[in-house]
Amino acid sequence: MSTIILPGDDIHVFEDRQISLGPGMYCNPATEEIEAVNAGVEVISETKKGQAVYVDYDCKRYVPSVGDLVIGIIVGQYSDNYKVSLSNFSSSVSLSYMAFPNATKKNKPTLKVGDLVYARVRFAEKELESEIECVDSTTGQDGGFGLLDGGMLAEIKLAYARSLMFDEKFPLLPLLAKFVQFEVAIGINGIIWIKCEEVKHTLACYRSILECQKVPTSSYKAIVKENFGKIVNTVEDDNQ
Amino acid sequence: MAKDIQISASESKFILEALRQNYRLDGRSFDQFRNVDISFGKEYGDVTVVMGGTKVQCRISSSITHPYEDRPFEGLFLISTESSPMAGPQFENGNNTGDEEVLCARIIEKAVRRSGALDIEGLCIVAGSKCWAIRADVHFLDCDGGFIDASCIAVMTALLHYKKPDITVLGDRITVHPVDEREPVSLGILHIPICVTFSFFNPQDTEENIKGDSNAEIAIIDATLREELLRDGTLTVTLNKNREVVQVSKAGGLPMDALSLMENCHKAYTIAEKTTDQILEELKKDEKKRNKYAEILSSENNRES
Amino acid sequence: MVVQAVTGILNQVDGSSQFESKNTKVICSVTGPIEPKARQELPTRLALEVIVRPARGIPNTREKLIEDKLRAVLTPLIVSYKYPRQLCQITCQILEAGESEEEFSQRELSCCINAAFLALIDAGIALHSMVSSVCLCIAKDTDELVIDPGDDDLRVSRSVHTLALELVKGGSVIQNVLLLDSVGDFTEEQLFEILQNGEQSCVELTKELRRIISDKISEDIVRTHVA
Repeated sequence: MSTIILPGDDIHVFEDRQISLGPGMYCNPATEEIEAVNAGVEVISETKKGQAVYVDYDCKRYVPSVGDLVIGIIVGQYSDNYKVSLSNFSSSVSLSYMAFPNATKKNKPTLKVGDLVYARVRFAEKELESEIECVDSTTGQDGGFGLLDGGMLAEIKLAYARSLMFDEKFPLLPLLAKFVQFEVAIGINGIIWIKCEEVKHTLACYRSILECQKVPTSSYKAIVKENFGKIVNTVEDDNQ
Repeated sequence: MAKDIQISASESKFILEALRQNYRLDGRSFDQFRNVDISFGKEYGDVTVVMGGTKVQCRISSSITHPYEDRPFEGLFLISTESSPMAGPQFENGNNTGDEEVLCARIIEKAVRRSGALDIEGLCIVAGSKCWAIRADVHFLDCDGGFIDASCIAVMTALLHYKKPDITVLGDRITVHPVDEREPVSLGILHIPICVTFSFFNPQDTEENIKGDSNAEIAIIDATLREELLRDGTLTVTLNKNREVVQVSKAGGLPMDALSLMENCHKAYTIAEKTTDQILEELKKDEKKRNKYAEILSSENNRES
Repeated sequence: MVVQAVTGILNQVDGSSQFESKNTKVICSVTGPIEPKARQELPTRLALEVIVRPARGIPNTREKLIEDKLRAVLTPLIVSYKYPRQLCQITCQILEAGESEEEFSQRELSCCINAAFLALIDAGIALHSMVSSVCLCIAKDTDELVIDPGDDDLRVSRSVHTLALELVKGGSVIQNVLLLDSVGDFTEEQLFEILQNGEQSCVELTKELRRIISDKISEDIVRTHVA
């Protein structure tokens, strides 16, 4: 069921059941009423306890939420923390020296200002500074987080980032993979990092990612093809 | 600027490496100017210029005031370039004291006002007591680099487009005729200066640039915001279609030799010529659209054959 | 009331809109929630930085007054407790005033309110409800009520009013009057007439604004939908 919902509209849930609220929903502390606060598609799903409801909306600015995988830029250091920026002009978040795999008091990470990190949001409360971590806290092991070396990053809208990340059928990355081998990291905060062997390939990927954001999925193929055609004479490998 | 845009080390390294291999992020060649899109508002002297992700609006207005005492035969002309957070959160409202903003305002001022693009003597009504004051308000709406170039085009097009109300002078009495009563008159424009900004990048270290004679620095025209944030130096050449160089502005940055300066001026000239032609073309098109009655009033009839 | 509006037209800011009604044209940008400067910070809620810039000339007291009224309308609308110690910048640039600026500012104000609402939606800032605003005036000679008056109507008016209403439940229920700003001579009876007629046009305008927003959302869904 997909209905478009705007701020102040009625929510289509059963009031007598337990309701979990997702993004775009707000429980007004004064009236204790649930209200929709963003404009988007209302999504209602059944959970074990009751119903979950959220608004699927698109925007550019990221607000940290626990569990999100993000890409940040190190902008400073203080005591035993890095200061990390998740999006320009937003409040920075902190990354503790201890939030790395095999970290000890003496074994400190060696990140510099300007480096990119792939991390998970560990703590997010609206009143306090958010925290991110570069370790899988369930196992204490390296979970593929940490420094992103080289490559290039592109700033994209949040819904597009979510599609790239969660929608297994989303065609862009498989299309790019037909032309070139690459490493990729997608941050839910609207940053995608991509790295190929050669600069020109990365550049073609970068342009394709940005251009595809503005068009329907059906035209992705043409765009990717054009961008690679412009830059390299790689023949499309259809066997893959 | 209030707070800076953060650029990661990877990104800056990548952009430089791409430039070294002759690529720009947006796919342009090094000396390619972005396409200029000029549109007009409902009133005279309301022009919006779009160049890629950069959007600038210029609005001309006029009023009658006293001339300066030491310049009784001249009218007043003022260009206001105030930035607001609309162009990006890095700009602060009402605070234009940042280096970039001051430089941008000064270059436009020099290019248009001090080069005498507008005939200010023609703005005089009664010497020493009354004159026209022309005001150009430049609004930066969206910022993706190249503010100077875009603003200059916007101001010049708006000045060419603007028409001030007609007046009659009878002794000390001045009658201003409303626009619907008498056809308003254009401003006197003496030449059309066009700014072209070059950005320089140094692929080697600084020492090599000063001492060595390889001249390996990379020069690109009409940089985007990312390129502007990373550049090592900048040069703005202002010239007009008559091959007159109005100003060369290079405030610090990477040193460059005379030969490449000449070369850049030549490149700038081709762009200036093309842009000037485009401005005139667009103005002509708009004039035609606006002046519906010209066809009715003209003696040429559409005759059915 | 014929309006034209588009959202998402600027790249560098989080949300933007352009709103046009008759000869008045306003462009609005919204950035937030971002980190405020220390003097702007509010300990429990979102701080608003409202900027209105005139089509020509430098901003002065007239624009400050519009800013103040705009802030009064937007503050109860935004779920400000959701963003403590954060800042939201709202910048309105008037492109065409559509009224003589020396005497009037009502058309610009009502367009700024509508533009700001659309830009806030585009930026994804949490809002309690919807808002829409219209300008009305009462003619000098005939005492007739004119909805959405043009410059000519304003010149021959006895009083000019700007009305902004808060609407919920799909724009069908009016929750509150956010602003009723009047200048000139008018009677109590006339004021009620204005409220009544203004209400009607606000509801109609809300429908139009809803359509613009819904179209944009559907367009986005279609675009990212995987066939």
